[in-house]
Amino acid sequence: MRLCEGSIDRRYLVEKIDLPFALERRLEALGMTIDGPIETVDKKGKGIMIIKIRGTRFALGYNITKNIIVREDL
Amino acid sequence: MNNLTIGFIGNPNCGKTTLFNAYTGADLKVANWPGVTVEKVEGSFEYKGQKIHLVDLPGTYSLTSYTMEEIISRNFILSDEVDVIINVIDAGALERSLYLTLQLLELNKPVVIALNMMDIIEKRGLEIDMHRLPEMLGIPVIPVSARKRRGLDSLIHAAIHHKDAPIDPLIHEHKETSKHRHDHHKEYTMVYSDDIEDKIDIIIEALDKQYHDVKDKRWVAIKELERDNEIIEKYPLDLPFLKDDHSSLIINEKYDFIGEVIDEVLVHRERTDVFTEKVDKVLTNKWAGIPIFLLIMAVVFFLTFTVGDFIKGYFEMFIDLISKAADDALIYIRAGDTLRSLVVDGIIAGVGTIITFMPNILILFLCLALLEDSGYMARVAYIMEGIMSKMGLSGKAFIPMLLGFGCTVPAIMASRSLEDRRDRLKVMLVTPFMSCNARLTIYILFAEMFFSDKAMIIAYSMYLIGIIVAIITSFIIHIFDKGHTVNYLLIELPEYKLPDAHTVAIYVFEKVKDYLEKAGTTIFLATIIIWLILNFGPGGLVSDMSESFGAYIGRFLVPVFTPIGLGFWQVVVALIAGISAKEVVVSSMAVLFGVVNASSPAGMALFSSSLMSIGFESLNAFCLMVFCLLYIPCAATLATIKKESGSWSWTIVCAGFQLFVAWIVTFIVYQLGLFLI
Repeated sequence: MRLCEGSIDRRYLVEKIDLPFALERRLEALGMTIDGPIETVDKKGKGIMIIKIRGTRFALGYNITKNIIVREDL
Repeated sequence: MNNLTIGFIGNPNCGKTTLFNAYTGADLKVANWPGVTVEKVEGSFEYKGQKIHLVDLPGTYSLTSYTMEEIISRNFILSDEVDVIINVIDAGALERSLYLTLQLLELNKPVVIALNMMDIIEKRGLEIDMHRLPEMLGIPVIPVSARKRRGLDSLIHAAIHHKDAPIDPLIHEHKETSKHRHDHHKEYTMVYSDDIEDKIDIIIEALDKQYHDVKDKRWVAIKELERDNEIIEKYPLDLPFLKDDHSSLIINEKYDFIGEVIDEVLVHRERTDVFTEKVDKVLTNKWAGIPIFLLIMAVVFFLTFTVGDFIKGYFEMFIDLISKAADDALIYIRAGDTLRSLVVDGIIAGVGTIITFMPNILILFLCLALLEDSGYMARVAYIMEGIMSKMGLSGKAFIPMLLGFGCTVPAIMASRSLEDRRDRLKVMLVTPFMSCNARLTIYILFAEMFFSDKAMIIAYSMYLIGIIVAIITSFIIHIFDKGHTVNYLLIELPEYKLPDAHTVAIYVFEKVKDYLEKAGTTIFLATIIIWLILNFGPGGLVSDMSESFGAYIGRFLVPVFTPIGLGFWQVVVALIAGISAKEVVVSSMAVLFGVVNASSPAGMALFSSSLMSIGFESLNAFCLMVFCLLYIPCAATLATIKKESGSWSWTIVCAGFQLFVAWIVTFIVYQLGLFLI
C-alpha cells in the first residue's frame, strides 16, 4: 500500500520509492532504504505525515507519501 | 605560528554553529530548526601557540548534494583548503548522522567526530559505548556539549593530533566474512559487498589509465557508481556497468554497516523523547495546529505591543530630554535657526522617534528567538503544509515567510533551504508581504494615533493581511504555473528544547544592534536628506515646506495616490523615503510635521491633529498601514533579492509586483471603507 494510506503509530517496511531522482536519493540518505523500517507518528489531510526514520522525526508532504510503497512490519 | 584549517560539517541542526561560536567567540545565529546556517562562515582562534582557522559549513545530510547550501559544504570539504574535518554529530540522531560520516571517511582526509548533545541523550537514558564507537569507525570520537562548552579542548587537541595520523587499523568485523581478493577491512571503515568492491577496483584501474590527477580514487570510483553528475562530467568513463545507477545499493550497504555499529554501541535505543512526542500530539494536531499557531502569534504580538509600550514610555522621556538639551545647547552656542531645525526637527525628531520603538522590536525578537530555539519553527512547516501545497508551495516555504516577521533580509536568505529554484523565486516574491519589525513602528504609531483602544487589533490585522496576501499571491502564481512545479515537503522535526538563554541573548542583541545601527546610518542619512528636500526649494531655503522640492515631488505623484486614500503630498514623500528603510516613513512624517518624540502621548496628539488638519483620517491611516505593509520592500531587501536570485530583472519584477499589489489592495480597502463609512 501507499504510505499515505497508512495509519498512525504503525511500523512499516519500505518496498518502493517512486520519486524524482534527487529526492529519492535524499530520502535514502536519510535512512529510508528498501526494506528499511519507518514508523508513522502523525497524519493529516490526504496523507501529510510525521514519520520516524531511524529514530529521527520527519514531516513529509502528500506528494511524497503517495509515492512510497510500504508493507506492514509484522 | 602553525596554521590549521578545520571544517565543521554535519547534518542540519546538529550544533555546528553553537560549537563555532564557543570556539571563536562569534555571535552567529543559532536556532533549533534545520537550515539556519546557509553560508560558509569563517573564524579563528589560538590554541597552544597554533592558529586555528575554523570554517562553519551549512548542514548537509550527505555529500551528494541537492540544495545550494549543501553544495557549498561539499565544495569546501572536497577542496585542499581543509586540513582536518570535524564531523559534528547530534548524539540523539547517531544512526542517521553516521551516513555522512561514512561518506566523509571515504574522502581519505583526517576526520574527527564531535559527538554533541551528549548531556541530552544521557537525560533520556540512552548510552553510547565510547570505546567501541571509535574502534569501529577508526577515528577519534570526542563527546562534547557545545551549549555547555564541555569537551572543547579535547576536541581541538584531537583534531591537531589527528591531522597527520593515518586511520587506525580497524578491529571490527562485519557479520559476513569477505572473500574478496583485497582485505579492505584493514584499510577502510566502510567495505562494500564483493560485487561493489570489484566494480570499484575496475573503475580505479580505468581512472589510473585515463586520468592522472585523481587524488581520492576510491571516493571518485564510488561516486562514479552513484552516477554523481559532477564526477561523471569531470571523469567520464566507458565501462558497461556504469550505465546502471548503483547508488541505492551503496546507500543500503552503508546503512547495513551503520546498523551493525548501532547494535554494538547504542544502549537503550528504544528510549524515545517522550516530552517531544507529547508536545507534538498537541501542537501538530490536525485540528488544533493552525489555531494554536495563530494564538502563539497573537501572544507574540500582544507582548510586543503591551510590554514594549510600557518600556517605550521611558525611552520617550529620554528622547525628550535629549531634544531639550540639544536645543538648549544650540541656543547657548547661538546656533542659527536652520541648524537648530536640522538637529532638533530633523535628526532628533526622525532618528529619535525610531529609537523609541526599540523596546517593541526587542520584545518581538525575543519572542521569535524563543520560538526558533524551542524547535517549534519546523513544526510550522508541517502545520501549514495543507494550505501551502494548495498554493503551489511546500510547507517548508512558510519558515522563511515566518522569519519575515522579524526581518525580510534573513528571511529571503533562508529560502536557500528550498530545493526548487522556482520555489525560491516565489518565496522571494511573497516574503516581503510579511510584516517585518520596521513596519511595526508604522503600525504602532498610526494604530495608536487613530484607533486608540483597538490599536492592537488593527496592528495584528496587518500581520494577518500580510499572510493572506502572500498566500493568495502564491495561489494566483500557482494557477498561472499550471502545475509545473510539484512541491515536496521534507523537513526534519528536531526535539523540543528549553531555549538556551545565551543563544536567545545573542540573537536579540544582534537584532537590536542591527536596528540601532540602521537608526544611526540609513535612517540618519535619510532623515537629513528628507530635511533638506523639505527645507529647500527652487528659490533656496524655504520657510513654508509646501514650497520645497519635496512638496513638488509629492504633488506630482498625488493623483496616483488619491484613489487609495493617500493623496497627500506629505504622505507621498514619506512613502518614497520609506524605500530606503520602512522606519523612514515614520521618521520622515515626524520631520514633515515637525513633531519631536512622535510616539509620546503629547507627540501623538500633535501629530494626529496635524494630520487631521490636512484631511487625513482613520481610514487614511489604515490605508497607509496596508500600503506600507505591501509596497516595495526596503533597499536592503531588494539587494538581498538580487543577491539570492542572481537576477536584476527578477528584482525589478519583485519590486514592481509588490508596488502593484500594494496599490490594488489599498484601493480595494479605501473604496470599501468609503462605501461602508
